[in-house]
Amino acid sequence: MIELKSVTKRYDSLTAVDNVSFSLKGGEYFALLGPNGAGKTTLVKMLLDFTRPTAGNLSINGISSTEAQCRTSVGYLDENHHIPPALSGWQYLMRCAELLDMGRGEAAEQCRRIVELIGMQGKEHARAGTYSKGMTQRFGLGAALMGDPKLLILDEPTGGLDPIGIRETRLLLESLKDRGMTVFLNSHLLSEVEKICDTAAIINHGRLLVKDAISAIVKDNDTLEDVFVEFVKG
Amino acid sequence: MKPSKALPAVFRIAKYTLMDELRHKGFVVMFAFCALCVFLLRGCYRGDYMVNGQYLDAESVVRALSTAAFHVIAAGVMVIAALLSMRVFSRDRNDGTLSCVLSKPITRWQYVSGKIIGLWGLSVLFMFLLHGIVFLIAFMDRDVFMPGYLAASLICSVNLLFVVIAVLLLSLLMSDVVAFLSVLGVGVAGFVAEGIAAVSHSGIAQMMMGQPGVHPQPSLTGWKLVYFLWPKLLGVQQSAISLFGSGSFHGFGQVYPLINIILYCIVLGALLFVRFGKIDIV
Repeated sequence: MIELKSVTKRYDSLTAVDNVSFSLKGGEYFALLGPNGAGKTTLVKMLLDFTRPTAGNLSINGISSTEAQCRTSVGYLDENHHIPPALSGWQYLMRCAELLDMGRGEAAEQCRRIVELIGMQGKEHARAGTYSKGMTQRFGLGAALMGDPKLLILDEPTGGLDPIGIRETRLLLESLKDRGMTVFLNSHLLSEVEKICDTAAIINHGRLLVKDAISAIVKDNDTLEDVFVEFVKG
Repeated sequence: MKPSKALPAVFRIAKYTLMDELRHKGFVVMFAFCALCVFLLRGCYRGDYMVNGQYLDAESVVRALSTAAFHVIAAGVMVIAALLSMRVFSRDRNDGTLSCVLSKPITRWQYVSGKIIGLWGLSVLFMFLLHGIVFLIAFMDRDVFMPGYLAASLICSVNLLFVVIAVLLLSLLMSDVVAFLSVLGVGVAGFVAEGIAAVSHSGIAQMMMGQPGVHPQPSLTGWKLVYFLWPKLLGVQQSAISLFGSGSFHGFGQVYPLINIILYCIVLGALLFVRFGKIDIV
């Protein structure tokens, strides 16, 4: 599903991502872990062609990430999600659906289903400027789920959510497992990652330290947090 | 295939760009204000004008005032197009539109094309409606029919395309306000240069040139080249008014401003696509 081959990204003298290679299979729930500034978001941005790698290749479904076609079945939620304040959540979702080439009828049907899925019934016609951070994040997640993507890339999806919102997001992501969706998750919430994901990778200073099944990374009586601290602090 | 399915992404982005601008109350108020100002021109048509002791006929008055209004509207809408264009990329970046659109199977050139078409379409509509009001007033109030007036308006839309592309390109290289002021500066310099050129070709100036002691400056060749290559925004307007004014067609001299601006649009458009293709979406 996703393949990274010797990916490097340099910003002048700073190496944000250093020779990273790994791959994800279809249906895998994967978490990319690392401290702030480790290069997680840069990797995601390269996958979506928001920025180009200095060296190496990234591909989704065998198509290079530089081709727009590779994003045909990709849903994305960014770290600090925003919705144009003049639009309502409904209008925003409709736009996302139309940009995926859906007709108005099909788009409206999808939007109705998604509004229900993210629990925003009754609030979808209010202006986005009146939404809280959590509500905006939910609509962002809804937009990412538009068109039933095969790959969901989530960059800190629980940022700004309260504990109930975090739990609901986790339950929602767990419910998507039955659909065979692949999830690429960037998160600091290690306890949630441990509950949702099957595999994880830890990067620090742009270098990949480990990539394996969570059950293989976390040894007996340890938590993912213990392992993470151990890897990052060396 | 349903029209909605056939509508390419470029036109969807153009439609969203247009609708986002129309959603702003400020834009609607600005249009209403401009339309009111143009409508007030009606009062000027009814005055009695005397030149060299002779009253001007209604048609001459209408044509002279309509020509002046044409230039003011065309220049004013260029400023409005620049104002609309200068904040488009930064606003899309800040409100999440950019990452939302480009995370879909949409290429950067489709996004930029959509933005150009949306902004250009809106500006052309704005100018055409204002020119349309002048045309209707002249026809309904004074029975003067100028079909070339609206065609001339469409020719001036090339200027708006130039302004939109130039401001979008510069807004990627510098701050939004500086981009706006730079393009405004190019326009003003062009208008002043055209004014000086027009004065220098006038009878009085020719007579002064012919007087003993007054000689043409020898260093004018370089300036003439700059003048020749400078964006001919006023030149396009002057060429356009030949469609309804009393002026006649002067061959290449009249077509050149249009070619000049179209070439600028192609070059600046290419630079815009290349530059936008290289920026990091953050």
